[in-house]
Amino acid sequence: MDVLDQLGAMREGKLSRRAFTRSLMAAGLAVSAVPLMPRRAQAGPADATYFTWGGYDIPELFVPYQAQHGTLPNFAIFGGSEEALTKMRGGFVVDVSHPCNQAMPRWVQTGLFQPIDPSRVSNWSDVMPDLVDLTGNDAGDGAVWMAPFDWGQTSVTYRTDLFEVEGEESWDMLWDQRYAGRLGSFAAGADAWWCGAIKAGVDFANIDSDEAFDAIAAVMREQRPLIRMYTDDTTTLEQALASGELVAAMTWNDSATQLRSEGVPVQFAKPKEGALTWVCGLMIHKDAPNLDYAYDIIDSLLSVETGKFMINDYGYGHSNARAFEAFDEETLAGLGLSTKPFEILEAGHFQVPQSQEWETRMNDLFEQIKAGF
Amino acid sequence: MTDSTPSELAAQMRPAPPKGQASGWLAGLLYRREALRGYLLMSPTLMILTVGILIPFVILVVLSLWTRQGFDFDTTLTLDNYRRIFTEPIFGALIGRSLWISAMATVATVLLCYPMAYFVAFHVHRNKMLWLILITLPFWTSYLLRVFTWKVILGYEGVINSAFISLGWIEAPLEFLLYSQEAVIITLAHAWAAFAILPLYVSLEKIDKSLLEAATDLGDGPMARFFRITLPLSMPGVIAASFLIFIPTTGDYITPALLGGPDGLMIGNFIQVQFGPANNWPMGAALSIVLMLWISAIAVTFLFLTRKVRERLA
Repeated sequence: MDVLDQLGAMREGKLSRRAFTRSLMAAGLAVSAVPLMPRRAQAGPADATYFTWGGYDIPELFVPYQAQHGTLPNFAIFGGSEEALTKMRGGFVVDVSHPCNQAMPRWVQTGLFQPIDPSRVSNWSDVMPDLVDLTGNDAGDGAVWMAPFDWGQTSVTYRTDLFEVEGEESWDMLWDQRYAGRLGSFAAGADAWWCGAIKAGVDFANIDSDEAFDAIAAVMREQRPLIRMYTDDTTTLEQALASGELVAAMTWNDSATQLRSEGVPVQFAKPKEGALTWVCGLMIHKDAPNLDYAYDIIDSLLSVETGKFMINDYGYGHSNARAFEAFDEETLAGLGLSTKPFEILEAGHFQVPQSQEWETRMNDLFEQIKAGF
Repeated sequence: MTDSTPSELAAQMRPAPPKGQASGWLAGLLYRREALRGYLLMSPTLMILTVGILIPFVILVVLSLWTRQGFDFDTTLTLDNYRRIFTEPIFGALIGRSLWISAMATVATVLLCYPMAYFVAFHVHRNKMLWLILITLPFWTSYLLRVFTWKVILGYEGVINSAFISLGWIEAPLEFLLYSQEAVIITLAHAWAAFAILPLYVSLEKIDKSLLEAATDLGDGPMARFFRITLPLSMPGVIAASFLIFIPTTGDYITPALLGGPDGLMIGNFIQVQFGPANNWPMGAALSIVLMLWISAIAVTFLFLTRKVRERLA
């Protein structure tokens, strides 16, 4: 029966109940089948998935990948690396993910990742060896667990016109009573707790001691009433800094660089206690459905083009030594970078991998502090 | 049995003359056993309830009796999680705050929606359906978008602050508007309005208008008439609306996450933390169950109280 006939029959009250049920069922089936169609059309081998931090899901980082495959990889976004690991442990399978050096040994321990064969990465010869040689990164037989990609600092970005610095730049800026309610912080302990350790004067070598927990918890509790927002969304922090809602916030390099390029008067502080420094990289899931594409994602991210974008537009360090050739020492110094990454990493406080027990205890405690306890 | 179509079932309901041997036996059985007929009719719903609610609930209960051990679970059954919930102050405080915020949101929503429903029920005489659709139109957009809209309205450089500043009423932007419990209450009150308007409208619409005339004839003014006739008779709608808003908003996650700030976090956010960064699924499960118990207890008390009040009025 034609659709119009049916509608006509219904209007005249002639449509039998059975025919009506049948057409309802057909309509239901049609509606539920619609979402299946585009998904099936997409499901070619080309949708390798890259599970990463917000801000890395942009075409500029995948110019070589796009040239090769014509499309971008699929992106899945996380706000903190603990959240990402929990999701993957819950059965979320991706091709490539993006942890940092502090989390990497724990990620390896979960058995969810496979070693990376450097011979399959064409840009490997340009990768700075120092960044490969991280604690826990040796997977044996020349393979590594994590291909280093970006490195940088966690520090304070502040409005030069709204925040009056007393003396030297320091972590005290995020504990400044004068600006109560106008300070921002990351929500994830993976950054915030470590910055608290620097503020409390705790040596990272003893960060797992009970005294360290007490000392850091004390400074975090002291800071909490001053904080307007805890968030892992860098865009939220950047917008709040741009509007003047926040006068200072804990950020990574890119927030300051991007705000400055938009003409917002901000400064990425060089705290006298030292900034928090880290190296992040790429790991391949053990069940990566598209292994060849996973290597292509890594190759694209390690390429010189991507490196130049990372340095110039995001202000991050990159792992490809040749990416730095386009910049002079002065520009790099202005961005807080150097062609010798460990000069910068060692000058700050370089994150040290911790056990799962430590991580759990820290997260539990920090969540309670953020909730006001 | 399960592959019978509705029309076949309908046929089986009647005492049909037996056709084949097998179907004859079936029809006979169904004819004799009324309970079986009932269960058969309910079977699709029962199946969804079992697969979608009962089994997950059992999993949740079992999970809440386990404990975390590194990344794995210690599967010995224990009440440790519940002991922590009742002894550590943070859990009680967060549950209390959630109940408070959602109670405030419920009261605000019902108070704001009652006049709207009243207007449509008593003063609109033509195209009532169109009015109802128009009232619920804003709720056709995604919940997330509406929450974000409130972020724009309440924000530091948002609609309210810029309007007040340009009018010269305030010097600096009002900061309490966003990232506060008030922001969460305002947003919830708006986001759930449709769930209050519809039950309120239905119960007001059903009121027999001759009762109102009788009250006027017997000397009641408009106010007395409202409190003696309209409000008590529309109480079922008020109760339904309160439940429809209170129960889902207590565990709301996205509104406090986006608008709550450090002091506006609710228990839903903390449950998410347990399943996410804190990686303590058993604790998250236990918290969910305690929250369910709290909501049930409050709902039962509320029902009991309203029944008492109505008995006294009647």
